[in-house]
Amino acid sequence: MKKIFKTLSNRYIVFMPVLLVLVVAQVETYSQLTTSGTFGAAVRLAIPILLAGLGGLYSEKTGVVNIGLEGMMIMGTWFGAWGGYTFGAWQGVFIGMLGGALFGLIHAIATVSFQVDHIVSGVAINILAAGVARFLNVIAFKDVQYASSTASPRIQGDIEIFTMPFLAGGKIGESETFNLLGTIENLDIFLLSDISAFFLGFLSNISYLTLFALALVPVSVLVLWFTPLGLQMRSVGEYPAGSESLGVNVYLMKYIGVTISGALAGLAGSYLVVAGTGTYLEGQTGGRGFIGLASMLFGNYKPFGVLMGSGLFGFADALQLRSPQAVHGLLIVISIFLLILTFKTFFEKKYKVSILSFLFSAAFLLWFMNSTSIPNQFVYFTPHITTLIVLSFANQRIKLPEKIGVPYKKGEIN
Amino acid sequence: MTRMKSKWLILFMVFSLFLVACGGGSDEAVEEVEAVEEPAETLDSPATTAAAAEPEADPMGICLVLDIGGLGDLSFNDLAYAGYEKAVADFGMNGTFLEPDGGGENRGELLELCAEAGNDLIIGNGFLFDASMNEVAPKFPDTNFAITDGVAEPGNVRGMLFNHAEGSFLAGVAAALKTQTNNVGFLGGVDFPLIHEFEQGFIAGVQAVNPDIVIQIGYATVAPDFGGFNDQVKGKEIALAQYEAGADIIYHAAGGTGTGMFEAAKEVSESTGSKVWGIGVDFDQYYQVGNALPELQEYILSSMVKAVDVSIYNAAKATMEGTFTGGASVDNLATGGIYLSYSGGYIDDIKDTIESYKEKIMSGEIVPPSARP
Repeated sequence: MKKIFKTLSNRYIVFMPVLLVLVVAQVETYSQLTTSGTFGAAVRLAIPILLAGLGGLYSEKTGVVNIGLEGMMIMGTWFGAWGGYTFGAWQGVFIGMLGGALFGLIHAIATVSFQVDHIVSGVAINILAAGVARFLNVIAFKDVQYASSTASPRIQGDIEIFTMPFLAGGKIGESETFNLLGTIENLDIFLLSDISAFFLGFLSNISYLTLFALALVPVSVLVLWFTPLGLQMRSVGEYPAGSESLGVNVYLMKYIGVTISGALAGLAGSYLVVAGTGTYLEGQTGGRGFIGLASMLFGNYKPFGVLMGSGLFGFADALQLRSPQAVHGLLIVISIFLLILTFKTFFEKKYKVSILSFLFSAAFLLWFMNSTSIPNQFVYFTPHITTLIVLSFANQRIKLPEKIGVPYKKGEIN
Repeated sequence: MTRMKSKWLILFMVFSLFLVACGGGSDEAVEEVEAVEEPAETLDSPATTAAAAEPEADPMGICLVLDIGGLGDLSFNDLAYAGYEKAVADFGMNGTFLEPDGGGENRGELLELCAEAGNDLIIGNGFLFDASMNEVAPKFPDTNFAITDGVAEPGNVRGMLFNHAEGSFLAGVAAALKTQTNNVGFLGGVDFPLIHEFEQGFIAGVQAVNPDIVIQIGYATVAPDFGGFNDQVKGKEIALAQYEAGADIIYHAAGGTGTGMFEAAKEVSESTGSKVWGIGVDFDQYYQVGNALPELQEYILSSMVKAVDVSIYNAAKATMEGTFTGGASVDNLATGGIYLSYSGGYIDDIKDTIESYKEKIMSGEIVPPSARP
């Protein structure tokens, strides 16, 4: 018995809620928990957070804290909209990346060349970006119809949408193909239908920009862990003095890391515009840059971890938007999860934690039994609360880059 | 090193503050241009020059402060701007319009800015201005103030209220008569009492026709987060979910967020092959959204029009004539400040039924509820 619970180490206990969600989703009221629509929406909502998180990763791996992600993202939204309006959708994406990279470069100049405190520079970037975006918008779209100081006109064209043939019923040329996953989803078989729905969410009606963003996850793994450049970048974040003694250009690596970081945050911003609203709207980033930073911590500085963190947030966000009733089902998931935790901590002889989680488990169960819905105010905060809960359980062992946030001066020995 | 660090830091901060200041201040720069341009326009068009009296030495000033979302929301704010623009043109007024920052924290400052500039009529477009009005209006007792969708205590503030429930009731009737799936949706911008008026009116209207119709309800955000009036991404996701769950008509009361709903209608109609609809709000969105985004026009069944433009125009007129009065005034179906639009001709076939319900509401036989039970 002890052994079983020991294997449920912190690492794997994260996956328990997934299984519980699957079970709860079999109840008709909570079926929205695992429909392809929910997963599709989750993907769309998660991508900007994922990109911001990946951006944070590149910067922080080279030892530069990047709290300016939000600001770089704002630049991405505006430049994306401007480029999209002037040239076209894909060009807008590219120009948005350049806009973000520009602000990344400013952050790099401040923190690397001039050793400004990373947090201070980041905050300055966030303030600066908000002002610059409105300033530019007023200047650029002064005489354009349907534009104002807080909104840009609509971009030209759209990014094409992709649906996988055979698996998700996409078209080849003009002829329709069989929708295998959709058919399985509609059969309502436990687990199989839910898994089909999951993949259907990724494979049907998905923007090519989304696919591009998802592809950046494995690409980031390759770049950071399997190329000499990546090794140099990571070494700079761990031990810059040592790296320099081995001939690594520390400043250059940090510049590269922070600029890529800005470009990815810019991509996150332009995604919101090009694949989302079609226009720049003031304040549309809505703190997604900071959530990206949180998902990076959640993912323990690993690209696939960032993907999971942002996916979780996107899923919770999609759920609260699409079906407040289904959020009620999460109460029982939390309750059972806490019960498992109660046993786990009991066998580990952490009695205080055990009792506490048992009490909370009972409280959630009572809440679940005595209500049919959750007040809207709570539903609305589902994504934040979910992320908070999972973060507090999952990661007690975040491995920060050794010299993160420490200014490095050439020739310094530390 | 530290000295160098702090020098750069200060430089950086000063620079950023400067730019932020530019960002905020740039409104005024544009507005001034606007103010010069407007009278020039009136001179060009003979119709308006006839209406405008011989320009006095000191023309009346009108100042419009928009709410979150700003110009270009194709809904509430654009409508207010239309009324303001017409007033400026017809009366030869000196026009200024301002937009608050993203979170709308500087409403009070903008009102005060307008008042200090010597404007005669200052309009705060949106219920969120009530607190700022209470604060600013008493300081300028000789200036006329007006607030849309809200009331304020000072005597020089006109509260321009609308009976949203009546118009939404008719929208509900139209939706109930037109639905093929016996399933309709409501998309609210922000979950709080003002939008509940739309929601309850709509529900009552649907149920008056057929109590068995399923009504799905979704909100983008919950007060005090008013970002839900300007979040097309959320609007689209909520609408997609409702269409997927069987709704074929959704009525929105969500300002700029509603554009996302129309986009969802287009997407669902194209991917499933069976047409779904959206009902617009505030503006006659068949024209407003239809002009800006022509590909969405054919999905706009109707609109619950709320003539904010007329109210603002009337306030301006009263200011010109010196007959402006404070206090609350309510527009409804009877005054014509609220009505259901037939643009597009999609609901012409049920016009008689809608009109009969309209008669019943105007005669007091039906009183649509405006608050949640």
